[in-house]
Amino acid sequence: MYQYNDFDRAFLAERTAQFRAQVARRLDGSLTEEEFRPLRLMNGVYLQLHAYMFRVAIPYGTLRSEQMRGLAYVAEKWDRGYGHFTTRQNIQFNWPKLVDIPDMMDHLETVGIHAIQTSGNTIRNVTADHFAGAAADEIADPRPIAELLRQWSTDHGEFQFLPRKFKIGITGSPNDRAVTRSHDIGLRMVERDGEPGFEVMVGGGLGRTPLIGKTIRDFLPKADLLPYIEAILAAYNAAGRRDNKFKARLKITVLENGLEAFRDAVEAEFPARRAAFSGADQQVLAAIEAQFAPPEFRGGDAAAYEAARAADPVFRAWADTNLTAHRRADHAIVTVSLKAHGATPGDCSATQMRALADLADAHGYGELRISHEQNVVIPHVPRDALPALHAVLKEHGLATANIGLASDIIACPGMDYCTLATARSIPVAQAIALTLEEREAEVGPLKIKISGCINACGHHHVGHIGILGLDRAGVENYQITLGGDHTERAAIGERTGPGFPADRIVPAVERLIDAYLELREGADEPFIDTYRRLGMAPFKAALYDQGNVSDAA
Amino acid sequence: MPRDLAPLDAAAASTPELVGRAAALNAAYRHHSAFAVMSRALDDPGVGAIALVSSFGAESVVLLHMLSVMDRRRPVLFLETGMLFPETLAYQQELADRLGLTDIRLIRPEAAALSAADPSGALYLRDSDACCAVRKVQPLEQALAPFAAWITGRKRFQAGTRAALEFFEPDGPRLKVNPLAHWRPEDVRDYMENNALPRHPLVAKGYLSIGCAPCTTPVAAGEDPRAGRWRGQSKQECGIHFVNGRAVRGPVPQAAETTIQTKADTMTETMPEAKTESAPPAGHRIARDDGFRADDWNAPFEPLANLNEAPAAALDLPSTADPAELSGRLDDTRIIRVDFPSFADGRGFTIAKRLREMGYQGRLRARGLIADQYAMARRAGFDEVEVSDTLAARQPEDQWLARANWMAHDYQARLRG
Amino acid sequence: MSRRPSFTPKIVTANHLGVGDVVYLSASGEWVRDLSQAELIEDEAHAQLRLLEAEARLHEVVGPYLADAAKGPTGPIPTHFREAFRASGPSNRPDHRRAPPAPATPKPIMTHREAEVEGAL
Repeated sequence: MYQYNDFDRAFLAERTAQFRAQVARRLDGSLTEEEFRPLRLMNGVYLQLHAYMFRVAIPYGTLRSEQMRGLAYVAEKWDRGYGHFTTRQNIQFNWPKLVDIPDMMDHLETVGIHAIQTSGNTIRNVTADHFAGAAADEIADPRPIAELLRQWSTDHGEFQFLPRKFKIGITGSPNDRAVTRSHDIGLRMVERDGEPGFEVMVGGGLGRTPLIGKTIRDFLPKADLLPYIEAILAAYNAAGRRDNKFKARLKITVLENGLEAFRDAVEAEFPARRAAFSGADQQVLAAIEAQFAPPEFRGGDAAAYEAARAADPVFRAWADTNLTAHRRADHAIVTVSLKAHGATPGDCSATQMRALADLADAHGYGELRISHEQNVVIPHVPRDALPALHAVLKEHGLATANIGLASDIIACPGMDYCTLATARSIPVAQAIALTLEEREAEVGPLKIKISGCINACGHHHVGHIGILGLDRAGVENYQITLGGDHTERAAIGERTGPGFPADRIVPAVERLIDAYLELREGADEPFIDTYRRLGMAPFKAALYDQGNVSDAA
Repeated sequence: MPRDLAPLDAAAASTPELVGRAAALNAAYRHHSAFAVMSRALDDPGVGAIALVSSFGAESVVLLHMLSVMDRRRPVLFLETGMLFPETLAYQQELADRLGLTDIRLIRPEAAALSAADPSGALYLRDSDACCAVRKVQPLEQALAPFAAWITGRKRFQAGTRAALEFFEPDGPRLKVNPLAHWRPEDVRDYMENNALPRHPLVAKGYLSIGCAPCTTPVAAGEDPRAGRWRGQSKQECGIHFVNGRAVRGPVPQAAETTIQTKADTMTETMPEAKTESAPPAGHRIARDDGFRADDWNAPFEPLANLNEAPAAALDLPSTADPAELSGRLDDTRIIRVDFPSFADGRGFTIAKRLREMGYQGRLRARGLIADQYAMARRAGFDEVEVSDTLAARQPEDQWLARANWMAHDYQARLRG
Repeated sequence: MSRRPSFTPKIVTANHLGVGDVVYLSASGEWVRDLSQAELIEDEAHAQLRLLEAEARLHEVVGPYLADAAKGPTGPIPTHFREAFRASGPSNRPDHRRAPPAPATPKPIMTHREAEVEGAL
């Protein structure tokens, strides 16, 4: 995994010193709040409902065990003993004091993590497949490219004041776990005639105008990546709308000007950008790639695993839901659920963080991942170590066997924390998880995603069941969408009809589940397939037609 | 029916030709944004010579900003009625400086007319319509004489009587252009936020609406935003709709009358002859890697539009400029100044980068940035940043020198090689 | 004057600049953390004046604004659920609550379909 070199460390020390000075200058009046705001945002510092919030990047979702311990230390020393993993492979601390944040940054720097560009109208933390380097279906590990992009985008002088935030996602697998088509730029690693390169997609995004990214180049040679992305950013910086913040994302620029016109602008810009790169970036990339060499895998005894699986039904249930095929048959990818029934999705205590770090050291070559579904992944675990690992997870309340099931819910922080929110999300997720706990195994794969406002941080548009919380005349109201899909079969969910008040949304979801169980053609037809087969009508009827119309508002 | 002063221009009814022209323009621009309407109106031959009329009130900054982005040499008519808040006058100076508007014309009531109609400065107490007539309607009518059209900030949402407001209206002998006609309050707010535009100081103090001091009361939450104007009277329009801002009374209502009396007297005594004058430019200095220095470029900067006529040694580029269009035309240019309409609007960085990519080797100056952006400017290709005296007072030289190390810790330079 | 709606009582609230906590302006001009100690402003002109004073203290707080509130038994109480959350803390972390739940606490999220038979709650 990537280790910071002297350049990275010196950069980070300088950057934290700058931020420390900016905080002091805000307090002494040199900076107005208006000026300070974008500066703190580009360092990951928000002001939320109750407190400041500090968002730290987990670049491409990869963490070493000592970095996880660093996060635990920061949570305990300067926050309230926990952190919240987000849908963009970041961690948020909800209760820091502004004046402490430079110290938090200094500590994180010692383990090689930062918070740069986790917010603001900048190029954000680059996200990647959380199974990168481990998945059986992977063509190439996207993380070296993501690290190259991290370095290139960090403090890029030209692109710190873009029209709006800018998100890049990358995958090296045909199963798009990084949701690349809902990013401003999505990158898919491909090969053409043996030459490595990228399919480049632009203009995807969720939010109030959800759009699926379009392919702007079906094959971009590997060495052209940085200049080409720079050309996209330059074209966007010049043409992106600045008169309306809801129309300022790249997706709107592409939508309004057309993909062809935008592509022309990018291609016109590209030659000059390409000429500026001498090839040094490819040398840096080669050095990065060397650091992502896989660990020295030891053999895993599959027999011990099978024995435990046969003997312990709790272990078996967990193994059936929470393990994913590793590219080595004697290893498994473990997804640790941060969605215990009734808990806040994505919250992780400092104690749990340390337990995870210890488990990664004991059984997983010291490696951890954070998924955009707000869970922690231990990517390389020999199969014979799984029973011991599971036992420790149980001690720490981390052994919930629900990955991919109804209670594995993505939810944004919502009105409980966020200044933009129009309704709560977390309590809705908690209540749904508790309500469906007993029959979620019967229900099977189901993605429920909840956002507390139209900005869609909870990705509700791409949930099989999406829930959007709004404020209707001073009362929380929840709209349901069905049929969204975040995978390579990306689709935007369709609204069912009128929304439901807070005390009616969970029963409404239950009626959808009842209807699905009646309608499906057997236990191996998941919810999304039944929906695709039958369409909206029977689900709509279940929601609104049985004397429950008065529920809807 | 309001005892509304009949608009002066209503007396001279619009010609059928003008009415038809307005209808044609409305049809042509029906689906355009405010930005497009404003930008095209500046040069549309169907519109003609045009001026922006601004009160420098609560929302005026939107149109002023749009104009500064499009062409900051265009005339802006500012009505100094003699009854404005001192904060408005300070704000006018600040905006003129910040947005770089070069042709702001102060319109004042004629002293003779004023002393005849309102010798004590208390006319508004007896007859606010007559006060408007002498302080606003007549001076504006005179100032507009050379123009075929004028731009206002009126919006449909502002008052019930404006619900049918169109982009283009025939208005007496000339055309009135209302680019923001369809904007809702949140559009205004978003535009100001997104462009980080400075607010009128009284807005920060809780005023929603700013015009002449005496004639209004505050607007309560949820109330029609213009309800605060001429409260207690049936009047809703001052006869000429010359402002997009709106007036409120002073912050301490009990003291308002005496305060205003004093102010009105003072203004009457010191009021110069009615004339137009440009707002004085504010001072500035230059930030470079070795700190502040006085500006050594003393010749004027030519706006981009003038480049069509003759080569310019010093060129001003707005943030909307496309450097590709300057290709081969910069041979005689020694300095280019790129405008950042707000420090949060980063287009100028890409403009600088593109100018350098095209091979421009002359001096490149940024205007409108803060100290924290100095390194970004240098990396994008700028040589220097123009710093207003106001900003320099708040962010002195050491805060700019703190980023003079812009060549260190540069990931992009390392990757380009 | 009929256009003028009746003024609803207000409080001045903001976040503390250095710490970030929710704060309210008290009658004596202190920033306090407990909503019940805030000044309930029942006069429109006085509200404008208090906001103006708060706006002059941007070295102490961020983003002061007037929020609707009502008179409660021991001081102001919120009238919108957003202000109720600001006053009481996040509902998923009861341990982080700052003050007792306010009367304007929004509807509970019902966990079971019992909600349906109980009727409107």
